[in-house]
This record gives sequence, structure tokens and C-alpha cells, in this order.
Amino acid sequence: MTNRIILVMTVLAALAFSGCAKKQPVDQQPAAPAESKPAAQAPVAQEPKPAEASSAKADVKLEPIPLVLPKPMFVGTPENLGNIENLEPDIKMSRPQFLAPAGVKNLALNKPVTGSEAEPITGTLSMIVDGDKEATEGSVVELGPFKQWIQVDLGSEHELYAIVFWHFHKTPRVYFDVVVQVSNDAEFITGVTTLFNNDVDNSLGLGVGTDKHYIDKAEGKLVDAKGTKARYVRLYSQGNNQNDYSHYIEVEVFGK
Amino acid sequence: MFKKLSRREFLQTTAAIGAGLYVSGKAQGADAPAKDVINIALLGAGAQGQVLMDAIIMKRDPAIRFLAVCDIWGVNRDKVQKRLKRYSKSGFRDTAYTDYKEMLDTEKDLDAVIVATPDFWHAEHTVACLEKGLHVYCEKEMSNTIEGAKKMVEAQKASGKQLQIGHQRRSNPRYRYCYDKLLQDAHILGRITTINGQWNRSKDSCQDNILREGMAPIEEAILNKYGFKNMQQFLNWRWYKGLGGGPIVDLGSHQIDIYSWFLGCNPKSVIASGGVDYWKDHEWYDSVMAIYEYETKNGPVRAFYQTLTTNSANGYFECFMGDEGTMLISEASNRGSVYREGWVQEAKWDPWVAKGYIEKAKGTKVAEDKDKEAVLDVRESIPAAEYKLTVELTDPYHQPHLMNFFNAIRGTEKLNCPAQVGYETAVTVLKVNEAVSKATRLDFKEEEYKV
Repeated sequence: MTNRIILVMTVLAALAFSGCAKKQPVDQQPAAPAESKPAAQAPVAQEPKPAEASSAKADVKLEPIPLVLPKPMFVGTPENLGNIENLEPDIKMSRPQFLAPAGVKNLALNKPVTGSEAEPITGTLSMIVDGDKEATEGSVVELGPFKQWIQVDLGSEHELYAIVFWHFHKTPRVYFDVVVQVSNDAEFITGVTTLFNNDVDNSLGLGVGTDKHYIDKAEGKLVDAKGTKARYVRLYSQGNNQNDYSHYIEVEVFGK
Repeated sequence: MFKKLSRREFLQTTAAIGAGLYVSGKAQGADAPAKDVINIALLGAGAQGQVLMDAIIMKRDPAIRFLAVCDIWGVNRDKVQKRLKRYSKSGFRDTAYTDYKEMLDTEKDLDAVIVATPDFWHAEHTVACLEKGLHVYCEKEMSNTIEGAKKMVEAQKASGKQLQIGHQRRSNPRYRYCYDKLLQDAHILGRITTINGQWNRSKDSCQDNILREGMAPIEEAILNKYGFKNMQQFLNWRWYKGLGGGPIVDLGSHQIDIYSWFLGCNPKSVIASGGVDYWKDHEWYDSVMAIYEYETKNGPVRAFYQTLTTNSANGYFECFMGDEGTMLISEASNRGSVYREGWVQEAKWDPWVAKGYIEKAKGTKVAEDKDKEAVLDVRESIPAAEYKLTVELTDPYHQPHLMNFFNAIRGTEKLNCPAQVGYETAVTVLKVNEAVSKATRLDFKEEEYKV
């Protein structure tokens, strides 16, 4: 599929989805002369509904995870995203609340973090779990180019329901080769469960991913942890559409 | 344009270098033909400098390598130095300087410098580099003063080196296609009579930069030595007179430059309104509206431009209006269309569709025969039919312009925005602030555009 076709499809899809959004951002409103209306065959988004953790049992009381989102902050000139394959549509709607068994909390807050680079380009690894999710420069940890990973030690095995993470949300970006794994092995050699993988060509060597690329934004990326029991959470990435670096603002792990 | 190394190929190649599998320990640049190697330094490591550096790196040209970085603020200097260090196996060096003179005196292997310092430093930095025999890519605005811009043109002429000014749309393949194919070849708009353009940003996008926790400020003596009163000025220099030019220069300059390029001439007059209407402690105008008058070979053109810092409605675009059609273009690739005036027969544009210059937008309502009587109704026009542009830029915005600069050094291309062109745009844009302050129409004299 050519980039041109991909772009057209993405734009059409985005236009169609924006029609269902509760409020269309002013910077997406058509300029004079008015843009044409989206093609009738473009996909239509469904109204967001609360999502249940896939491991939830019928007799367990569910409630939204206690997720607090940072302030949205897209500034500057957004780079074009039209050449990124396997990119999920930007639906411009709030993500539905994620339901998990009552009592889950962010287990990652202020827990030890290690990574492929002990000394990042900017920030310290501990900032990834300090509760600061803002997009501003002082909140972002930057790791170098090529394959990078960070790992949170939850201290003991927990039942995990959702992992939410923010790479960067000052401008719209797509990070590549995002893989989320959990394990009770600190070396991630045995007992590894992969919860998310969009490394479609297996450049990390962790297996071919089938998940889609996505645009990082203030609501972060939420991955269903499916009640997996684990002590360690590891996230991989390998640059983004704007530069070669991997960034992490915050990682939250909801479980009990 | 030569085939670029894909991201995957680059990662595989770099992994091979790291594993000692690549060409016998040679650095990235060492593998390229010597005549193609260009050693560069980054002078000004702030946000824009980093964007330019990233765009260069992501081109994966094995013969372009950074050797040094210079910035007076340790936070940005250290960040870029650490980034460069990560590419040491690709032939990059990470030498960092605070003083640009020390860098130019020390770094003997440089071929070119990327200047991304605040506007009021452009002239001194660019002239010094040219006098050292180095090629220069200088961010726009060329200078915050006409005198500074003039010195840059003169220094370029004296040195014979390449001086590219960072109006990157001039190298954007989409803009070049609009100019070459739609305007010069197809004359698709008929006679252009009017231009309308804008760059509106939300209040949230225009907040002052602040010193974040953990960021060490620059010593006051250093700040003063380099022309800043304090860190507030350093972090927000674009708002201060004598340092920058405000949004009309930061943003408007890119787009007004396109007005003159596409029309093939410079404006003859400007009127403007603006003020410090909303933001506190700023010196330059936060909202500006300007109207230029051009006298083109085809007749007069009036060109409106506005930039707002309190409302982002409709974002940024340039809209060229002729008696046969309208072309709406933006640096953002998701915006770009040509609209055929309702009275123009569809058959007249069919050849351009057939040649691939434009393509009919899906879902566009084309005027039906029954609507044609509306042509006679002067109160309402038939809706214009939309056609999409067929060329887009998917690389980083600045990359084609930077590569045009490097290829000009190699002798394979001519600069798309040489010093004289950048100078004429500086004359055109800086006049707006003068028109606002004088609250009167200002005429451009032909000699103002000459150096």
C-alpha cells in the first residue's frame, strides 16, 4: 500500500471519527474554503464505553482504576504522520474508563527503576515513577537511540490489571517498537508475558508484534495486564517518528 | 533525490557497526567518498537547533557528521553533547563549547555550521563562520535588523561560501510542486488577485518558557555578556525588542516568504495593526494583522496575513485566490487542496488531473447543470469543486532544506533560499512591526531590497 493511499485513508478515517467526537477541536475545523465531507464508506467510531479488565470475574466488584491524567499540551508544529504504517486512527475521543477489581492502585509509584542506560540523556530513571506526568521538558526522561528498555521492580508479585505509560505528549508522536512485558524474573529470561507489542518486523528480536502504532497523547497508552501475576514490568522502545530517542514521562502499574 | 536509508536499514547497519561487523572499524563518514563528507557544528542547541540536528541525523547520510556543539546554556549544551556521544560509532564527535569563537578557532575539520541561536545573534555568528571559510545554514529570521541581514549578505559574497536561510518551505517538495506545476505550468488559479494566510495558536501554546525544577540557570555575568538581562529573557527572547521580532517574525516570516516567492516579486507597501493585547511583560505584539500590496506582472495582488496567540482557530495555512481557482496549502500535509471556481468548466482542469498534478477529492459536489443558472445570480456563487494536491512531504519538515544546503556544498544543487532571498524576506517582514508602531502605510522602495 502506498504512503499516499495510507495517508488518504488515515485522513478520511480521522475526519469520520471526528464527526462523532463530543467536541471537535477548533484547530481541526475546516478552513475556508470548506473541506469536503468524509467519504461515506469511512469507518465510524462507537461511543466510548467503560472497558473491563479482561480477567475480571463476574462476581467481583469492578470500578474505574484511579487514573489521573496530566494536562494536555500539544505545542509547536506537529510533524506529518502520514507515512507511518499500521497506525491506529486518531479518534479524538476520550478513552473509556478502564474497570478493574475494587482496590487496585498504582503499584509503580516511587519503586526502583532500572534500564538499558543507567544515565539517560536527560532526567533520571526514578522520574519515570515519580507521579509527574506533565509534558514539560523537566518531566521527560530521554534515552539514546536504538533499542532501549526500562524496568520497574514492584517489590513483590502482584496481580496486575492495567499498565499506563506516557512516552511524550508535548507534540503528537509515534514511538516505534513498543513492547510491554511482565515477569517474576528480573532478567526477563523465564516466565515472560508479553502484554503489548507493535514491533511488526521483530527488530527487537522479542517476536513479531501485531499491535498497532499509536499517537502518544496526554491520556497515555493503557495496556490491559489481564490479571497477570508478576513482580517486574519492562517496556521497550526504539525511537519515534521525529527522532531516534526513546522518552518516558511516567509509567503506572495498576494492580493489587 | 537519492534514496534514503530506511529506518530499518539504518538500525541494522548501526547494529552491525556496534557489533564490529561493519567495514573494519571505519567511522560512518570515513566510509563515504571524501568529496561528499561534510563536517558540521551546531551553534545554538535550543529547541530549534535540536529539531535541525534530528532532521539531519534522520536523513541517514553517512557523510554528514557532527563534530561539535556550542551553546551558552549548559542544559541544552549537555543534552546535545550526550546525544552526539551516542553516535560516536558513526563518526560523530561530542566536543562542547560555550564560546563560539573558541569553537571556530579550535575545530579545524569543520566544513559548515548550523546557526540556530536567537535572531539577534545571527549576523555576528554567521559572519564569523563565513569569514572562517565555513558554509552556513542560518535559521530564519535572517536577522532582527536590516543592518545585520545586510552584513550577512556582504559576508557571503566576500567568502564565496554557501549561506542558506532557514525558510524551509522553499525546499518542501509540496510547495515546489505547487509553484512549478500548478502555478508556473498550469496557471491553474487564473489571475491571482488575493492572498490570505494565518498562523493562529492557542493561549496554551504561547505560555512563557520557564526554568524547570532541576535546570541550572545561566550565571548572570554570562547572560549579560551575551545580551540577555536575565533567564526570563533568555528563555523567551522572541518576545523582546532587540532580541527577536515576535510572532509576525517567528511564524509570519515563513508564510509571507511564500507569498513573494509564488508571486515572483516583493510587495510595494504594507499596512498593519497589532499590539500587546493579551500577554503581560511582553514587548512585541501578540496579535498582528497585515495587508501587503503587490504589483505583479499580471496586476495588483492584496495579501492579508494574521498571527494570533490567543486562539488557534483554523491553524496555519496560506491561501492563494485567483479568478479561476483557489489553492490552500499548509506545511501540514493533511491540508492542501485546490478549488475550481464554479463558473470554470470541469473540462478545463481535466488535463491537470490526467497529468497527475491534482486529483478530484472524493465526495466533492461538482456543480450540476441545474445549478448553472446560478452563474447569473450575482448574490451567490456556485460552490467550488475541490481537488487534492498529489505531492506531500513525509520527511521531517526541515530535512529537504537542510539537504538542499548540503547538496549545494557538494555542488549538485543550487540553494533554494540563498542570502539575497532571505534578505528580501527580512526586509518584507520586519517592516510589519514598523508599520504597527507608526500606525501608517509604509511603502517599500526598490533599493530597500538591494544590498
